[in-house]
Amino acid sequence: MATYSNQHWLLSHIRNSFISTDDTGMCETVMLSDDMPKHYLRKFNSSAGVESHRRRPLKPPLVSTQTERNIRHPDAPMQEVDFVCYPGLDLSDDEEDMSTHSFDIQMYPEVGAHRFRSNTAQKLEKLDIAKRRAARIKSINYNEEVQPPDDKDFFKRKAIPNIKPNISPKETKSNDDDLSDEGVQSMLTEQLAKSPKQTQNKFVEFARFDGTSQVGMQTKRINVYLNMLPEPDRNYPLKVCVLSTAKIQEVIGFVCYKTSLQYPDVPLKSLQHYGLYMTEDNDDMEDFPPLDNREPCSKFGFSHLTLAERRPLAPVTRVDYPGQLGTKSMTSEDDKANLADAAVRALKNITLNGGAADPGGGATGGGGGDESPHDNVKEYEKRLLNHNDMLEAPMHRSFRLNIIDKRFFKSDVTLGISGERIEIDQYKNAKFWPQKKPVSTPIDAVAHCEIVERRQLKALLRIWLKSNSSSSSLPSGCTSAPINASVTTLNTGTGSSSAGIAHSPSSPGNSFGFFSTTSNIRFKHYDFDTDTHTAEQIHSKLNCILEMRSSELRREFLQQRERKLERQQVKKQLKL
Amino acid sequence: MEAMGDQLILATGGYDHTIKVWQAHTGNCIKTMRFVETSQVNALDRTPDKTRLAACGYQCIRLYDLESNCTAPVINFDGVQKNVTRLGFQEDGNWMFTAGEDHHVRIWDMISAPPHCSRVFDCESPVNAACLHPNQVEIGMGSQNGNVFLWDVKSEKHECIVPEVDASIQDVAISPDGHYLAAANNKGNCYIWSLCSSPDQKMSTMRPTKKITAHSRYILRCKFSPDSRLLLTTSGDGTACLWKTSDFSKWRELSIENYWVWDAAFSADSKWLFTASSDGVARLWKLETKTPTREYTGHTKAITALSFKDEIIRKVNH
Repeated sequence: MATYSNQHWLLSHIRNSFISTDDTGMCETVMLSDDMPKHYLRKFNSSAGVESHRRRPLKPPLVSTQTERNIRHPDAPMQEVDFVCYPGLDLSDDEEDMSTHSFDIQMYPEVGAHRFRSNTAQKLEKLDIAKRRAARIKSINYNEEVQPPDDKDFFKRKAIPNIKPNISPKETKSNDDDLSDEGVQSMLTEQLAKSPKQTQNKFVEFARFDGTSQVGMQTKRINVYLNMLPEPDRNYPLKVCVLSTAKIQEVIGFVCYKTSLQYPDVPLKSLQHYGLYMTEDNDDMEDFPPLDNREPCSKFGFSHLTLAERRPLAPVTRVDYPGQLGTKSMTSEDDKANLADAAVRALKNITLNGGAADPGGGATGGGGGDESPHDNVKEYEKRLLNHNDMLEAPMHRSFRLNIIDKRFFKSDVTLGISGERIEIDQYKNAKFWPQKKPVSTPIDAVAHCEIVERRQLKALLRIWLKSNSSSSSLPSGCTSAPINASVTTLNTGTGSSSAGIAHSPSSPGNSFGFFSTTSNIRFKHYDFDTDTHTAEQIHSKLNCILEMRSSELRREFLQQRERKLERQQVKKQLKL
Repeated sequence: MEAMGDQLILATGGYDHTIKVWQAHTGNCIKTMRFVETSQVNALDRTPDKTRLAACGYQCIRLYDLESNCTAPVINFDGVQKNVTRLGFQEDGNWMFTAGEDHHVRIWDMISAPPHCSRVFDCESPVNAACLHPNQVEIGMGSQNGNVFLWDVKSEKHECIVPEVDASIQDVAISPDGHYLAAANNKGNCYIWSLCSSPDQKMSTMRPTKKITAHSRYILRCKFSPDSRLLLTTSGDGTACLWKTSDFSKWRELSIENYWVWDAAFSADSKWLFTASSDGVARLWKLETKTPTREYTGHTKAITALSFKDEIIRKVNH
């Protein structure tokens, strides 16, 4: 019991307990930087001047210090001498710091169980349950020998009551389309008459997400607290079992369906009024936004959730940057003023609790949805999309399009764009052309992306890259293997259209080396042919990435282009 | 869940290996029972006392208790070979018949404990269908090689007819008034015989009466309405057709486009029809107007069998 009065041990114990039982990981992050037991120990070591090797012999006098301490006034400041290192826990020495860490304590999902039962015990229990269940199932051998019945009357011929005389073919023929009332009414007819169509459950379409007793399909069990229920009921969760493939929206529908069966008196609103919120198992709703309706429920690992009316979004200051100038580096005073304006406008838009005046809150918040004008919703969605674009831009995405090879030849390629590189790979199923090598270019070598030509359905997309055929001013990242590969293919590509990845050095409008007069960076470009929508997606995605990176290369490219334009204009004027 | 005693239930089973029990008039699913993991449900029938539901499938026959909350079967048949295609009960629940692809139709004594087999009939070909004559001693059977049998279980006599060569009989039905036997095949044809029973309690005789070219494709089921005025055929062509037994002309056609209509059941007054189809939805149709009135959604795959037991509650005088 000596350990319980040793501060060092207690501190270490409390600390370790916190870290090992907290599965959020939050506690560890906070406590890692502040190792109190170690801190005290170090303090004690330095001030008392005790060498580390003396710590062990210190243990016998421990008893005497304890008794002394017991009579000490509890409020008295702790003296260094009080802090006695517990043998084995002294991790103070930095040189042994790493080696003496205990290995990670693994928590099993079932928190609270003290000791986990062995597999054998669990298996035995399962067998036992199966046995008990089987005992209730009577078993009959299908192939057993035939035992004719003893009782002669076992098979008894029944006289069929003679059919009513009113059914004669002639009579029914008189009324061709009506089979006339038989004069009977069934229980079903009566029950259907008693339950008009309105009483049919409006959530019935979600019944198909029921996961109970499904064989061979992934299911998920969730306890859902129902916020709309009256007091006692809402404290007990509704246990549902849904198919893992169901989206959150569909889970909400299914929960509503179950709720309407179990609590027929509770009025339920339509689906979009509800959201699923993260919940502690003690029914406390967390202050997080509801789960995303579009995600499959298998994505979330929560055992407890709350179905509640959607809360209006917390007021968030959204600044709409006109023309996305906020993402560019601001150089002019005008830009700054514009940005400030936008910020002020955004702040004005905010009303508390997402009232109807707020175009944003109107779209998602509560019942206000139908009051807010349609335009506002559209506008809000558009803005959200812009915002999402920016967030999603660095994520990898691939597009299928045609690369324009030389002047006419097109070949089917996949263009992969991510925050680090762009990749061009010939589409696997492409026939006719011999397989070409894939090209990967680091994003540092990409300068610009533009839509050169827009037709009704198709668009010509151009991606500008740094060409390696010049002396490079950007050695970093550009000397890697992929770019070299692309240059070799570039060279062969000019020779014959069938070798190397398609690249269009001679496509119209290409002014190869045009910029070389002012800078030693050369640019090349790939041309792609695709539908307008995809072209715009790629255009905005790639430029989003480039703008966020605000690379040297891009600036250089844009400057060169501006200079070129200026010169062209000067030339024109001179000609005039 | 509320007791099932006084409410009408519809039972459905299909390719998702589950059997669902529905409240017939609301469309709410009351209970889901797990069937055998390796099998679809070929046929469902309820015991006449309505407490148990029998289901058959590939290598299995099971009986479930409808009154308890337990979803495990109460009776299981061991050693079943191949598909069991049909089953049904004698009107007092004394015995049950099963028809299987092992060429045999078996009669099971259900009142002795444990139940045992008391008759076997060998069709010499996989049996696709069987149905009980309202006189409770004759069984109509249809086999894959195109034979239609009528078997008297009491005297163990039988009669055999081949209506069409190179066609497999998919279903047989006998009208509740005992007048007609219908057999439907995989070519879309339906054959009708008139049954004549003599007063000296001998076996009924079959007299060919009519051939209906009912569907362009596979017929899956044929059934007579409880009032014997209608014959129903369901098909792989996405329709269920109702024929008047007075002259076997088409009366109504219900359509579930692009899906197979696997099974159907009438209400006791012959005014409503439940259908089971491969879109995983069971429907209730008002026959008069051909309108689907209720949908029973919940199955994740095709529904291949259903069972509904209704009651006549009153006679309307007019």
